[in-house]
Amino acid sequence: MKKFKGILIIVILFLIIYFLQINFFSWFTIRGIKPNIFIILVLFLGLFVGKKVGGICGLIFGIILDILIGKSIGFTGIFLGAIGLLGEYFDKNFSKDSRVTIILMTAGATAIFEIGMYIVNILKFHIELEIVAFLIILLLEIIYNIFLVIIFYPGMKKLGYYLENIFKSKKILTRYF
Amino acid sequence: MKRRKTGLIGIVITVIVLVIIVIVSNLETNQMQIAQTVVSKLFMPFQNGYVYIKNKITGDEQQLSDIETLKNENLGLREENSKLKEQLRELEILKSENNTLKEYVNLKNKYADYTTVPANVIERSYSNYDKIIIINVGKNDGIAENMPVISESGLVGKVLSVTDATAKVQTIIDTASTVSASISTADQSILLKGTLASTQNLKATSIPVEASILQGDDVVTSGFGGIFPKGILIGTIKDVVNTQNELDRYANVNPATDFSKLETVLVITQ
Repeated sequence: MKKFKGILIIVILFLIIYFLQINFFSWFTIRGIKPNIFIILVLFLGLFVGKKVGGICGLIFGIILDILIGKSIGFTGIFLGAIGLLGEYFDKNFSKDSRVTIILMTAGATAIFEIGMYIVNILKFHIELEIVAFLIILLLEIIYNIFLVIIFYPGMKKLGYYLENIFKSKKILTRYF
Repeated sequence: MKRRKTGLIGIVITVIVLVIIVIVSNLETNQMQIAQTVVSKLFMPFQNGYVYIKNKITGDEQQLSDIETLKNENLGLREENSKLKEQLRELEILKSENNTLKEYVNLKNKYADYTTVPANVIERSYSNYDKIIIINVGKNDGIAENMPVISESGLVGKVLSVTDATAKVQTIIDTASTVSASISTADQSILLKGTLASTQNLKATSIPVEASILQGDDVVTSGFGGIFPKGILIGTIKDVVNTQNELDRYANVNPATDFSKLETVLVITQ
């Protein structure tokens, strides 16, 4: 029942973020550049809930996004799934209680996702390489994502620990007994 | 407690900075007038207060004889104002509906030779690297893959995939899009591709050596490739970039359609 509640929270979070990304952030931009809050969502799931949930959620969210508004189906899922897996790696090596490390994690995850997606697009659609234009967009997107993480960090941390408690509660007990 | 308060102040400052960045980064030079109006509105009460005090000191203050009458008059004016505002809102709605219908009629007349289905843009790509839009017509309206999509101003793109009620459209400004085109003044064919650098720019490549391209030339679909019919306006030549190797020269094309304001489109079904 608790896990069902956790899954329900994740689904609602995805819907809210989808609505914000498609509607609000389509006009609330920095020189026309939108943030990518799906990366933040999946990274946080990986960080707090673990690689299993983070990876699966990333994969499912990515496939849904590809079906709804993508050029091809699958790659967003693969890369978002990878960000979910990366979340646990970050959790094991860095502190998620520090705002600075969270900012660096967000910047790293955004860069990995977008560079990966760009390389796939170049290979699949034979797109002309535009390094300068790509780096400018990437930099602005990273800055925007960092701003959002700074703003929503306290809320995300609270919700993150709540979800961690739901999904990881058994594991914590076995460590003590 | 102090740390929590500091954190909260930090968040508020970040929100303010973000909002300012978003506003300033999206401002065009002519939009600075709006900023001027806002600043002037902010400073107006202080200015009025200053003038009031100054007048009082110099003895030029106007005497208000009947405050009660003025209060009643003010109340009446407020009521009238709210009624007028309501009427204005209704008019705005009617005006917007009228504009949409006019756009449809204009589009239909302009492309009378083709069988078309009108549609509205309901969603845009969330990614900064894709320029995909979703329109509110699908299989049920006779839409199929690879059908051309146009706007009142010119070419928009092609249908990428369809569901029963919606269709995914790849716009010509998408980096993965390539359109075969020709210059209206010549017969030579060129290729148009979307670029990452700008959402209102297309790159014309494969320009034949003998082709003479001038700034301001219209670029239309060539009809090659079997997707886009011949003669649909794509845009105008912005500038020609000459390189050492003449085969590599390219031109920047300004699309006829303003993709940032695109709301109504037509899908050519036949």
